[in-house]
Amino acid sequence: MGGKCPHRSVKKRRYSHKSFRRSKFLVKGDDAVYDELQKGEEERKPLPVDEDLPGMGQYYCFHCDRYFANVSIRDEHFKTKRHRKRVKIMMGPAPHTQLDADLAAGMGKPDNGPKLMSM
Amino acid sequence: MRLEKCWFCSSTVYPGHGIQFVRNDAKIFRFCRSKCHKNFKMKRNPRKVKWTKAYRRLHGKDMTQDSTFEFERKRNRPERYDRNLTENTLAAIKKIDKVRVDRESRHHAKRMKPKKAQLQREAARELEQSISMVKAPGALQRDPSLTLPIKVKVSKPEKVDNRMEE
Repeated sequence: MGGKCPHRSVKKRRYSHKSFRRSKFLVKGDDAVYDELQKGEEERKPLPVDEDLPGMGQYYCFHCDRYFANVSIRDEHFKTKRHRKRVKIMMGPAPHTQLDADLAAGMGKPDNGPKLMSM
Repeated sequence: MRLEKCWFCSSTVYPGHGIQFVRNDAKIFRFCRSKCHKNFKMKRNPRKVKWTKAYRRLHGKDMTQDSTFEFERKRNRPERYDRNLTENTLAAIKKIDKVRVDRESRHHAKRMKPKKAQLQREAARELEQSISMVKAPGALQRDPSLTLPIKVKVSKPEKVDNRMEE
């Protein structure tokens, strides 16, 4: 999630480092986004109405974790290179997790013991 | 004492070492050193960074499937304390570790085996293709134009004699 690169032909539009830093931790992590996408259409809850978000939080891109003001802007976003890149990443293998790190370190899968109660 | 693994490079994080980051969805990320933490902040993928264990595993650099990997694991089950069991476990750790190190060295040797033959093949090809660069020492003596013009200082034997007289 880099900062926005200004277009070369426009002289005054500067790269905003501050807004980039501010938004860095607001964006969901790759693994959280991936888990959300794996859930499928039915399991997802309907988007909650939030008046602080653009478009009352109703126009959301799951891949990029962004809210849009209306449908047309969101559909415009779906055509962007950034979004398509993001979709490609999310279609690929699952992001690295702590479990992967443990397995790579030569540990076995976690041993949770026998299931005592059947839910 | 639980020894955790680094999220980025999969090395062991001992108590009092490294740093941990708790994301706002309560996921914990542990890092063994600032190098790993910085790489995480740069949003690098450990599978694409060559020095991490995840990369080495994925690309067949390290041993992947082995029965010795089944011993060390997170056990989320209570175990009643038993002195004999503890002693046996501590004795077994050394043995298992030795077996694992041996197998890893064997894996490495096996992986490096074709390297020597490849180097020899390359050397043979180089020799064959650029044999003209090599001249026999006899040819250099016969034709002095082949040698580089290096001036060699010749020490005078007279001075040495004077010193000896003094």
